[in-house]
Amino acid sequence: MTTLALARTPERGALVRAVCVREWREALGNRLLVAMTLLPPVVILAAGIGAVAAAAANPPSDRDVQAMYAAAPAVVGLDPKEAIQGFIATYFLILFMLIPTVVPLTMAIFSVIGEKAARTLEPLLATPVGVGELLLAKCLASTIPSVIVTWLAYAIYLASVSAIGSQAAVRAVTAPRWVLAIIVMVPLLTLLSVTLGILISTRVNDVRVAQQIGGLVVVPVVGLGIAQVTGRVVLDNQSFVQFTAFLIVVDLAVFFFARLAFQRENILARWR
Amino acid sequence: MQTVIRTEKLTKRFGTLVAVDGLDLEVREGEVFGFLGPNGAGKTTTLRLLCALIGPTSGTAQVAGYALGQQDPEIRAAVGILTEQPGLYERQSAWDNLVFFATLYGLDRTTAARQAEHFLRLMGLWDRRLEPVATFSRGMKQKMAIARAALHEPRVLFLDEPTTGLDPDAAKTVREFIVAVRGEGRTVFLCTHNLDEADRLCDRIAFFRQSVIRIDTPDHLRAELYGHATEIRLMPTPRAEDLVRVQAVHGVREAHLENGSIIVSATDPLLTNPLLVRALVDGGAQIAYVIERKVHLEEVYLSIVEGQAKQSVKLGTSGKVS
Repeated sequence: MTTLALARTPERGALVRAVCVREWREALGNRLLVAMTLLPPVVILAAGIGAVAAAAANPPSDRDVQAMYAAAPAVVGLDPKEAIQGFIATYFLILFMLIPTVVPLTMAIFSVIGEKAARTLEPLLATPVGVGELLLAKCLASTIPSVIVTWLAYAIYLASVSAIGSQAAVRAVTAPRWVLAIIVMVPLLTLLSVTLGILISTRVNDVRVAQQIGGLVVVPVVGLGIAQVTGRVVLDNQSFVQFTAFLIVVDLAVFFFARLAFQRENILARWR
Repeated sequence: MQTVIRTEKLTKRFGTLVAVDGLDLEVREGEVFGFLGPNGAGKTTTLRLLCALIGPTSGTAQVAGYALGQQDPEIRAAVGILTEQPGLYERQSAWDNLVFFATLYGLDRTTAARQAEHFLRLMGLWDRRLEPVATFSRGMKQKMAIARAALHEPRVLFLDEPTTGLDPDAAKTVREFIVAVRGEGRTVFLCTHNLDEADRLCDRIAFFRQSVIRIDTPDHLRAELYGHATEIRLMPTPRAEDLVRVQAVHGVREAHLENGSIIVSATDPLLTNPLLVRALVDGGAQIAYVIERKVHLEEVYLSIVEGQAKQSVKLGTSGKVS
């Protein structure tokens, strides 16, 4: 009797859905991972709302106002109390860009190093699934929740600033370039962080070491924040477009390298 | 019987290390094929090659009718593999583990659920299907891993040490499963160090060290090396003259004393045994019983594999692979 195998190459949609659901279940069962994922957005959100509320409650000192005018010449002439709220609200929007670099990195690292530790990669690779599709599914499994968390944090921030902040603060957080940044740059930064996390995880077996190396991805974002606060960089529409284009190129390059590292034979014979 | 695996000069090198060296192999549909060799012989590498997990350096292979290196996804869909480690998602339930892998094998939801239920019941895990795999014993995890390998009803099932570390009850379940798979006309490619298990289960056995040293049925391998052995128990114990009488009987290849018995190797025991009995009785010996003595496969294995190893050392061709 000849028995034919039931199996066939799965539909891409079914594969992505299955991998995402499995990874999310795994993540939700890991309290440490959940805590590490939620802590950064909660802290940044609380600090941002607190800072705007503090600025709304306390008039700024002359020194603060002068520093603000130096960093943001565009606000010269506005009511200082209004303007400083807008300035603080904008500054925390830059910090919001840290969320898509920190949150998915942890998830991506756990996703690969966890599979290495549990020795689940070989049975996974023994299925008819293509490694490129598997990598894409893993990327999406880490990217989607992180983008949702960031967007949710932004929505809460927006609602809070609208409730407690000045008109200038509301205008700052609803400026089209920031809305676009949240919609476009957050997924791009998230994807960059995820692919970097996966790339690093192919080489190391310790989650902490991978996080330390992957943590370097936040440096450009923090640097940009510092440059903006000190007035060295003015984030206008053109610089947003340039940064977005730069991110797309870097995303593609890092994904390409991750794809090179994510080969069946490499994974089985060389990953330790 | 149809050939389900055919390799020609299949070779795999890792740098300068030769893991598999010019493997020529034919495995038939519906047989349990034993793949035996020492640690580091390249068995796991061979399994990974045949499951299209890694590519060959040279040579060709056809698995389930698909060409290795050209139709790898089809090969992976047609085979199932039990790896050395169970490799299960421990935080997730037995059910979720199986349904997840069923999805990766392209099974639709209904079929995935049906297959998961079938194999969980078969392995005696149905009552614990909703519990995380982390709470399972080693034997239960191994049964889960076998269920996962067989979930999509592959034409060839590769099992790497399926009963290692299992208690006798779990090992029995696994052996019964292997027999059932063969009964369905599917092929089992069994890597094991358990020679007794290989002897009981396998239709044919390959002794392997980088390449195949010998392939045959367990009985033929025994007969070829040792002939057919007969144990003759004498009362109270055999005397030296009894051994001399036995050695003089026509058709006796070899005879020696062992634990109070005379062990006789003869070309054709059906002809020789009556002559042996007559010679001993005529010599005044008291015979307690005469039985056929089965040579353990372990003796055959050691003779063939160690013999080949000594030859390789002499020729300077030995290698080791993990």
